[in-house]
Amino acid sequence: MTAIESELRELRSSVREFLEAKSPEEAVRKLMESEPRFDPAVWAQAADQLRLPGLVIPEEYGGDGFGPVELGVVLEEMGRALLCAPFFATVVLAAQALLASGDNAACARHLPGIASGRTTAALAVAEDSGSWDPALISARAVPDGGGAGAWRLSGRKAFVIDGTTADLLLVVARTVAGPSLFAVDRQATGLEAEPMQTLDATRAMARLTFDAVPATLVGSDGAGGRVMAKVLDIATVGLAAEQAGGARRCLEMSADYARTRYQFGRPIGSFQAVKHKCADMLVQVELAEAASREAARSAAEGAPDFPVAAAVAHACCSRAYVFAAMENIQVHGGIGFTWEHPAHLYFRRAKSSQLLFGGPAVYHERLLDRLGI
Amino acid sequence: MEHDMQDFAAEVRRFLDAHAAKAPDRTAFTWGEGDDTMAYFSSLPPEEEREHVRRARDWQRIRHENGFGWITGPPEYGGRGLTPVHDLLYDSIESEYDVADTGTLSVIGLGMIGPTILAHAQPHLKDRWLPAMYRGDAIACQLFSEPGAGSDLASVATRAVRDGGDWVLNGQKVWTSVAQHSQIGLALTRTNPDAPKHRGITAFLVPMDAPGVEVRPLRQMTGGADFNEVFLTDVRVPDDHRLGEIDGGWTVALTTLMNERATVGSEGAGPVAAALSPDRLSALMRATWTWDDRALRARLAELLVDAMATEHLNARALRKLRGGVVPGPEMSVSKLMYGQNLTRAAHFVSDVLGPRVIADTGRWGTYAWSELLLATPALRILGGTEEIMKNILAERVLGLPKEPAVATTKEVRS
Repeated sequence: MTAIESELRELRSSVREFLEAKSPEEAVRKLMESEPRFDPAVWAQAADQLRLPGLVIPEEYGGDGFGPVELGVVLEEMGRALLCAPFFATVVLAAQALLASGDNAACARHLPGIASGRTTAALAVAEDSGSWDPALISARAVPDGGGAGAWRLSGRKAFVIDGTTADLLLVVARTVAGPSLFAVDRQATGLEAEPMQTLDATRAMARLTFDAVPATLVGSDGAGGRVMAKVLDIATVGLAAEQAGGARRCLEMSADYARTRYQFGRPIGSFQAVKHKCADMLVQVELAEAASREAARSAAEGAPDFPVAAAVAHACCSRAYVFAAMENIQVHGGIGFTWEHPAHLYFRRAKSSQLLFGGPAVYHERLLDRLGI
Repeated sequence: MEHDMQDFAAEVRRFLDAHAAKAPDRTAFTWGEGDDTMAYFSSLPPEEEREHVRRARDWQRIRHENGFGWITGPPEYGGRGLTPVHDLLYDSIESEYDVADTGTLSVIGLGMIGPTILAHAQPHLKDRWLPAMYRGDAIACQLFSEPGAGSDLASVATRAVRDGGDWVLNGQKVWTSVAQHSQIGLALTRTNPDAPKHRGITAFLVPMDAPGVEVRPLRQMTGGADFNEVFLTDVRVPDDHRLGEIDGGWTVALTTLMNERATVGSEGAGPVAAALSPDRLSALMRATWTWDDRALRARLAELLVDAMATEHLNARALRKLRGGVVPGPEMSVSKLMYGQNLTRAAHFVSDVLGPRVIADTGRWGTYAWSELLLATPALRILGGTEEIMKNILAERVLGLPKEPAVATTKEVRS
């Protein structure tokens, strides 16, 4: 065991301990039906006690400067616990978009607040089609004339994670130069946000309407496509870690149940049909963990094959989680189909994670594209 | 531990650099050029097969002379006294070099039978066979499976009956790899038909040149013959060739099977890696004008996701090994995936090729895939069927309870 591995284990166990205390099933169930869909007190504790929002934010912006491998460990645990918190939207999407933009001034303005946990943020890219393809963006921005970097933004965004609560909105809109990234303040006039009904109630999503909303250009005009591509790679690897953690939890629930549930006078896990179902889940979970952790490693090392590894992780973990979540319900039988049992919460998360960035047809083509096929 | 591993790895590299060239990249290729074989089983003509075995023995001798012949073995029998982790590390480094394939000697004989002899044989057998085996002089085979006892190995029916100081063996073994090259075979026999089936078995080391031992090649569905049937007719074996207690052969068998588990799952490399090469598969789609077929593209992506995730799994296991940690279930999972990935690749390619895989048009890189296609059913059976592997994962890794045993003596008597 290398020193680094033991540090990762320590990180994992402290995050798990925190989440077991702060995000047990009852808490998840309560939050998924409330507004906002997270507990500001718990979010503040995650920031103050564990410094989680600042984990991967560079030290110069007030963070701890850790990398994708550490982020992966934290996200695996959050996925396991189905934590309702603005972490994914703020840290994995918005903060990464700021960093990817290369705009130091914007980073200096927004990242310290994010790192400290005081600011939550969201990234608005997709519109009604749900696609992340820059060619399909129709929201527009025009120069305001009021000063350099001042713009007015109009159009609609949808599927914006934590879009009704985020203090800072990063929005991709079209200018004459092409898709570009803008920062919009939650309080800006002309901005409306309404919650969307979601398959996965533990992850809040919003539809945003912009009517000539004042916005600040982040990075250079027309660079939004490049920024999005970069963010999408990081976000899919982050999502993959969450998925691997959730899938592992489903496997554990199934194996526990199969060991203790008696039918026909013996534990159901002694029936080969159930045993093989669990073994198939184990195979998927092992592959998912390997794919997501190797992708994180490859990101940390700045390896040239990172985009390929990211696409593999996204596809592999999406499939593994959906499979594990479905089979978990099957292993539990009728009880697994009830509202009271947590199995459906994982099924909802698994399915919506699989489709969040476009789904199998999209990520398959992305993989082939990156392999030059 | 990690430091020790680095030293060992450096020593291995020095040895290999001095005696072998680096292996060529088997996934790099140009469409239409070079060898297009996709065979998993290499059924060679007898002379070539003998040459193959000779090269294997030569390389094993060189390994032995340099201290890598039996990395985990005790020094008194020519071993190195190191751990299984060293052994796996050696294999992983050696796979980067172009050396003779020693599978004929090592997979069964050195990997499984050697450790069993060491654990259970009388001293004179250890002295006689262990140094010879690890020097490359003697080859051993495993006389376990029978027509009526495959996965349920405890149902062996080959009889051994005591006759003075000897035992007389009668029965038939099957799926015996390398029997035609072997000097010795480890046989499981039934010595007590009245005991519960696990308790009436005895193990013997059988000299393959003993009168009454007959090896017949067993032709498999690929057309080749990589396995044998071994018929035992009144074969006399002295009692001092017994391993373990009378009726205590199951313990001996377990030693062999545990070592078998350690040898499977490490098959990631090899010429068949070409079957999962993105370059080769995409070139095939171009050559067959199926490039734009959306359904095929989606399947190709799925196939590559599995192949690459399996590689990631192997990479993780290897990193654990290099850090001195014995990997967890990665090896078993990768063995399962390896068979499935190749099976999926063969069926994907056959859908790309269509009729060109049912009859040979003579075109490069097309009908050649039929060899892999025909080998794939074996990949889900050999070294423990997929079903048995899943039971092992479920029971040993997930801790699920065993299926209630139904032990009867009747089935072994019939």
